Parts: sequence; C-alpha cells; structure tokens
Amino acid sequence: MDLTSIDTLSALFLHALGYWWIMIPAVLIGIVMGAIPGFAAHNTIIILLPLTLAFDVETALVFMTALYCASHLGGGIPAILLNIPGTGGAAATTLDGYAMTKKGEAAKALMLCFVASVIGGLLSAVVTLFALPVLAKAGYYIHSVEMVVIMLFGLALIAAIAADDMLKGLIAGGFGLLLGSMGADHIYAAPRGTFGFLELFDGVPLVPALVGLFAISEAIVMIEQRFVVTDGSTNKTVSWGETLRNFAFAISRWWQITWTSLLGLLIGILPGAGASIAAFVAYQQSRLYSKNPELYGKGHPDGVVAPESANNGVTTGTMVPLLAIGVPGGSTAAVMMIVLQYHGFPFGPRLFVESPMLAYGVIMAMVVSYILMLFMIFPMARYMSRVTVVPTNYLVPIIVAFSLVGAFVPRAFIFDMGIAFAFGILGYIARKTGYHVAAILIGIILGPLIERSFMLAMRISNNDPMVMFSSNIGNVLWVCLILTLAVPPLIERRRKRAAAASGATAG
Amino acid sequence: MDGDSKERVRLVDLIIPVSAVVYAIYYVASVRDFPFQAQITGLLLGSLLGLLCTIFFIRFIWQARRSGIRIGWIDLIGKPSIGLKRLIFAGLILLSTFAVPWGGFTLTTFVFLVASFHLLGVRPLTRVLVTAATAAIAGWLFFIVLLGARFPRGPFELLMSYWI
Repeated sequence: MDLTSIDTLSALFLHALGYWWIMIPAVLIGIVMGAIPGFAAHNTIIILLPLTLAFDVETALVFMTALYCASHLGGGIPAILLNIPGTGGAAATTLDGYAMTKKGEAAKALMLCFVASVIGGLLSAVVTLFALPVLAKAGYYIHSVEMVVIMLFGLALIAAIAADDMLKGLIAGGFGLLLGSMGADHIYAAPRGTFGFLELFDGVPLVPALVGLFAISEAIVMIEQRFVVTDGSTNKTVSWGETLRNFAFAISRWWQITWTSLLGLLIGILPGAGASIAAFVAYQQSRLYSKNPELYGKGHPDGVVAPESANNGVTTGTMVPLLAIGVPGGSTAAVMMIVLQYHGFPFGPRLFVESPMLAYGVIMAMVVSYILMLFMIFPMARYMSRVTVVPTNYLVPIIVAFSLVGAFVPRAFIFDMGIAFAFGILGYIARKTGYHVAAILIGIILGPLIERSFMLAMRISNNDPMVMFSSNIGNVLWVCLILTLAVPPLIERRRKRAAAASGATAG
Repeated sequence: MDGDSKERVRLVDLIIPVSAVVYAIYYVASVRDFPFQAQITGLLLGSLLGLLCTIFFIRFIWQARRSGIRIGWIDLIGKPSIGLKRLIFAGLILLSTFAVPWGGFTLTTFVFLVASFHLLGVRPLTRVLVTAATAAIAGWLFFIVLLGARFPRGPFELLMSYWI
C-alpha cells in the first residue's frame, strides 16, 4: 500500500470515517469510563468483549481503538477536577492540573488537557501512519538492559516530583518499589512479602492501589472542605468567549504538545512501558528543560500539557509492536490481539501483506477518533468545571462507592476492595505527612517491571552485574540518566547564587 | 508559639519510614530460605530503603535536638470534630467492603451512601434517602446491568433478576 499517494490516504480516511456510527458511542463510553478511577480501557474492552466479538473484525477494532483513545482523554478529567486520576496515565496530570483548579482555573486546565490529548494523539497517529515500518524497528533495539535504564528514569522522577523534600520522595518511591516487588519471584515462583495472602501471589494489583492511593485517600482528605476547592465560586461555568480564549491559549503550547506526544509515542512502542511511565517521563523532561521549573507543581500549564500529550502519544505507540511484529505493546493492544486471533486474522508483518487496509485502518481510525473528539471538547471544557462546586458531602461518598467498584472489576476479588482501602489509608497518611502518593504509585508500577528486566539481564549474563553497562544504547541512556539527576540541583544552585548576588547588589 | 510549633519536627512524619523499614525487614525475612536469585530483589531494595530511612532518622533526630519535637496528631487527622468524622467514615468504607458479599452491590452501596451522607451533614433525611437510592440504582444499572460487572448478588439483585 502506497501511503505517499493522496488517493490512498483519502480512501483510507474516508473508509475510517465511514465507521463514525460506532466511533461516537465508543468515544463517549471511553471518556466516561476513563474518568472513573479503575476503569482503564482494557478493563472496559474486556467487559465489552462479547459485544466486540459479535462485530466483524474491522468494526470491532475501530470500536476498541476509539474507546482506547477516548479513555486516555477521560482520565485527565477527575485528575484535574478532583485530584483523582481516572487512569494511571493521568497520575502526573494531578500535579499541576489540580493546582490550577485550586487557583480557579479548572476550565483552562481542562481545555489544556483536552487540546493536548487530542492534538498530541492526532499528531502521533499521523506520524505512526507514515513511520510505522521504521518505528517498528525501535522495538528490536530495546532489550532488558535498556529497559532497566529507561525505568530508572522513572525513579529519577520520584526525586523530581518530591522536590520540596527529595529524601521523603525517595523513601516513598523506595517503599513503592518494595511493595511493587511483592508476590511470586520470576524464576522460582516463591511468594515474597505477601503476608500469606494468596490474592497477592501475583503481586500488588495496580488498579486497587491506584484507586486507594488517589481516590480513597483524596476523598478522606476532602471531608474537611465544603467544596473540592476552598472557594467554590472560583470555578463557575465560563463563557463561550473565555472557552475560545482557553482553546487559543492551549494551541499556543503547540511545541510542548508536539515533542511530548512524540516522546509518548516512542515510549509507547516499548512493550511494557505504558502511559503512566510516559506521562511521568514527559512531565519530568518538560520540567527539566523549562525556563520556569519552579512553577511546576503549582499550576503550570505545561505541567498539564506534557503528561496529557504523552499519554495520548502512547495510545498509537502501543499499536506499533502489535501491528509490526505481533507483540502487544500494552494490555489494550493485547486484548485487540485476542480479537484478531478470534477472527482468524494474522498479526505482525503478515497483517500488512494480507490485510493492509485493516492494518493501516487501525491507525487511521485513531486519527478519525481524535478529530471527532475535537468537536466534543468545547462543551466539555465549558461545563465540566462545575463538578468542583458540588458540595463535598455529596461528592465524597459517591467517589468512594464508585471507586471501590473500579477496584473490584479487574480481578473480581472482594479482597481487592480491601487492598484499595489499605492503600487509601497509606495514601492519606502520605498526603498529610508530605510523602507524595505519586512517588509511591510510580514505585509500585516500576517495581515488577524493573525486577523482570533486571533478572532477565542477569540470567543472560550468568549473574554478571557488569551486563548493565554492556550495551551502547544502554550506556548512552546511563549518561542521560546521570545528567537528568545531576543537572536540576546544579541549575537550582546557580539560580540561588544569582538571586543572592542580585539581592546583595540591590541591598 | 505557633511559629515555634511549626518548626518542631512531627512524630507523625515517621509513620511512612517506620512502616517502610518494618515491611522491608518482613520482606527480607520472608525470602531468607529461598535461592539467591529469589532473594536478590529483596536484599537490594531492602538495603536501599534501609539506607534512605537511616538518613531520614538521623536528620529527624538532629532536627528534633535543635528545635524540639511534637506528635502532630491534629495535623494528621484534623481537629477533633473533623477527625472523628474521618475515623467513622473510614470505618464505614471498611464495613462496606466486608458487607458486599452478603448485601450485594446495590444494597451495600445504598446503606453506605445513606450512612455517609448523614455523617457528613446532608439533611433532611428524605434527601439523603432519595440521593442514595438514585446513586445506588444508577450504579446497579450502569455497572451490573449494562457492563455486567461480576459483583456478588444480594437481595436487590436477586429480586431484580426475576423481573429482568
């Protein structure tokens, strides 16, 4: 299939647009489900699997991709309005999104989130469409050693996020890593640190941990306030004119949206590295290269844009290894692989040979879904900020009741609701004593991933720890990692010296 | 005095590092009889966490000797009126997770919402009952009927299964 021809591209686009009737409900379901903590896209798709299996394969794939893209957009809504990320990928959005809401800028933050999600997702889908054969090769160069270093970037974020007290941030992250390493080890399947619970044999379930650390702990904190933000009147419905100005402001961050979405796309291509890692990496990199890093965490627009464009960049990224080499890049891609398998379609290079319209159609369906979402963001950005003026005595019990459903759904264990409660208490204590819950969560996410890659690298090298420095790509990444850790304190020190010098001169 | 108490270190700040150290010790103890490869993660992460917490404890003691120490209980749970509400609310969440297998989703959610709304000051009782019933039934329709979430069935779900 020649994608450089306008005819082919327009035929592909019109073909995808023909599925608008299934995309619109999928986008709506995706936004709603993404906004409910615990209901990630793959959970929703799994729940709706009987429905998707009843469709023909193309309709099913279009439905799933549209829902997947929309759920990443939806995840940012509660992150901004309630400090509760709807999906793991939106956890980094809470840092500046909620701070903007507290300043009375909820509508602006929502518009930034929607524009970054839609434009970021659209851009990465278009890039993927043209660069699919080249991008697919990136997966071949990333092995266990490189994965360990990439994930150590995540650890660097912990220090950056908890900049007020780096030691507390590192303790929270280290505690998260150890909790994340709970469960059976990868070689002997010996249970470690599980308190004897069989339900923890597979490790800490991520969704209940997310629900507990963010939703339940935040709900318990919220009890002391009358409204979500201290002054409920500051987030009233904005006018259409203001909505358009917010849209123009969001568009003005086009460069930030572009590079963070492409970063998300690259991270998404790596199997196992999902939206949460991409969002935190993008947030940290955006802060690192910002002219005003001190504004991050206090309601800086770029702190909303970076994670949101990155987590939407991931959506197309996770499709690349599935379509190109037949390895799903994430859990949603894995579900899609099951649907392809069920319908008897091949995946990997054979899919492009036997059904090119279907293979490129998946990416084009993403492009069309994002275009459809573009029309939905205006009313959403205008009215949704009203959630913050609902009194907390109504909101808090409803958040807890429905979040607990989210904790239950992925594994259908009542035990997981107890896990969510336990993490809720841990998250509450962490919030009240200055340990960032995002640091604990990132530790829990990275714990099993780092362990798996580390153990794999050690086994391949007969337990030689020097294997960690055996790859050229890995070594470049090590240098980048050290720079990432060392540069911010040095810049900060220089700024303080400059400020002190200018103060002395003024005095 | 206020300004002075702000500078004093709070004992509640130790909850997370102490919990982390206790869990690290338990984790390492739980792998002591396993082969080396199953122990390595626990040993590496346990040592790292132990090192970080030791630095924190040393800093805590140094700051406590310099500026004094306080419990910080109010900072943690809030003023007595709010603190009591918080504890009861947390208790209600825990109770509802235990009650789900018997009460099912809808009834448990309804009872939890009624108790929580009442605790958090929603009045009058009619509004509490109507809001809780609406939310519980909306949840049942969305999560159980529409999405087919496999919640344990309670009296309400069993009753409705005769009609639907």
